[in-house]
Amino acid sequence: MIGFLKYIKGYLRIRVWGFSPERFMNLCSNKGILLWDIVKTGEMYEMCIHVSGFRSLRPIVKKTGTRVAILRRYGLPFFVPEIWKRKVFVAGLFLAAAFWILSSRYVWRIELNGNYQITEDVFNGFLEEQNVKIGMERDDLNIAELEKEIRRRFPQIIWASAKLTGTRLSIDIKENDTPLIAEEKEDGAGMDLVSEYGGRIVSMIVRSGTPVVSIGDTVETGAVLVEGKIPIYNDDQTVREYRYVEADADIVLEYGVSFQATLPFDYIKNVYTGREKQSRYLRIGENRLRLPQEEPFLTYDCLIRERMPVIFRNLSIPVSFGTCQYREYLKVEFRYTKEEAEAALKEKLISFLSGLKEKGVQMIENNVKIETSGETWILKGEFLVQGPVGKSAVTARTESGETQENEQ
Amino acid sequence: MRKKKEPGRQKEQIVESLKLPRDILTGAMKITLTGSREAWIENYRGLLEYTQEQILLQGKTCQVCFEGSQLTIDYYTNEDMKISGCICCVRYL
Repeated sequence: MIGFLKYIKGYLRIRVWGFSPERFMNLCSNKGILLWDIVKTGEMYEMCIHVSGFRSLRPIVKKTGTRVAILRRYGLPFFVPEIWKRKVFVAGLFLAAAFWILSSRYVWRIELNGNYQITEDVFNGFLEEQNVKIGMERDDLNIAELEKEIRRRFPQIIWASAKLTGTRLSIDIKENDTPLIAEEKEDGAGMDLVSEYGGRIVSMIVRSGTPVVSIGDTVETGAVLVEGKIPIYNDDQTVREYRYVEADADIVLEYGVSFQATLPFDYIKNVYTGREKQSRYLRIGENRLRLPQEEPFLTYDCLIRERMPVIFRNLSIPVSFGTCQYREYLKVEFRYTKEEAEAALKEKLISFLSGLKEKGVQMIENNVKIETSGETWILKGEFLVQGPVGKSAVTARTESGETQENEQ
Repeated sequence: MRKKKEPGRQKEQIVESLKLPRDILTGAMKITLTGSREAWIENYRGLLEYTQEQILLQGKTCQVCFEGSQLTIDYYTNEDMKISGCICCVRYL
């Protein structure tokens, strides 16, 4: 800080020699002139002095019989006149400052966080419809309205927050984890629960609807488990009408699942040769500028690293620079050993089983075997599992008159 | 006959009893050394001699000589000064 203040005020490095330099220093200190970095070089003394102090040196110099020479000038009072001579540089400086001030009035980056179901393309399309795009003026952006519009347009978004920090607009959204009802229910229509698999019912808790099957029953795929209509009886035990509801029940079914995975004996793997080439590019908006170059290798992949210069913390501009690292590889054919094949097939099996586990399925019995057929490894698995079933389907409507006739 | 006290002794007794800073009232030079590389000096009258090997300062009551090598004065004001370098000896003359 002191150094900065000295720089602002401006100071000189001087050389003092003559009859009595020590007396010169004493008189300077008595007059309140600060001297620093005093070094004796040979018969002379070198020291730093403020510009204001230097201007009042004349009587001291006369009195002490010393001589003073300026070695170097430091600080803003000397820098400014010097810089004014370089007109183009000064103009560039002002233009750069003007550019930064001007560019800070626009939105240069839009970030979307928290999207899983909604793709960025879809969201960007929506933003374009709302006239929210890169390069728009910050003042034109109505954040509260944008947040409302996001929730209105995407019903699966349960929370949306937009934040403008500097020139960056970050939109954070939270999507509803529970899936939306795929099949739209007609007004007054009931919904049945049907079985997706064929098997034996192990447990059943019905909350709404009429159960059609009971524990221990064997059902086929597509069989109705719980009907979405509740009969209302007359006094003579005939059905007067049906009240249609959305069937809701926890039903556990024991059923068989089979799994099969195949793996060819041979596989092709990309083996990197170690030869690499690099090229740099500059991206301005959507345009990528790079030096023209030939195909680096016959077969290669490219690793792109891109960085965006962030000048000040919140001022980001749509300019980025990056490097493309081309890595040559050869396609080499390999043959699985028995252990490798088993490991690869088991990995597939584990991924299948973990998928089942996520659905809440419990394993009762399993029978897995790996065999070869022609030029292929085959994993076959038969599993007996217990898991929740029940898929919604629209209840077949029964006319009350027709029913009454049937009942009669 | 009552014995008259020395004026220096009397002053010291007052400073002692009132717990006043000794360096201000007695005009003693105050030297603060940090290892053998730096020294801060206050309460001096002036600089008598300055070479790279020796810095001689005039105090109110005595002279103090700093000896060493590559001695430089980091700053020099009416109030205090700082000496840097390799100080090997501080002598009171």
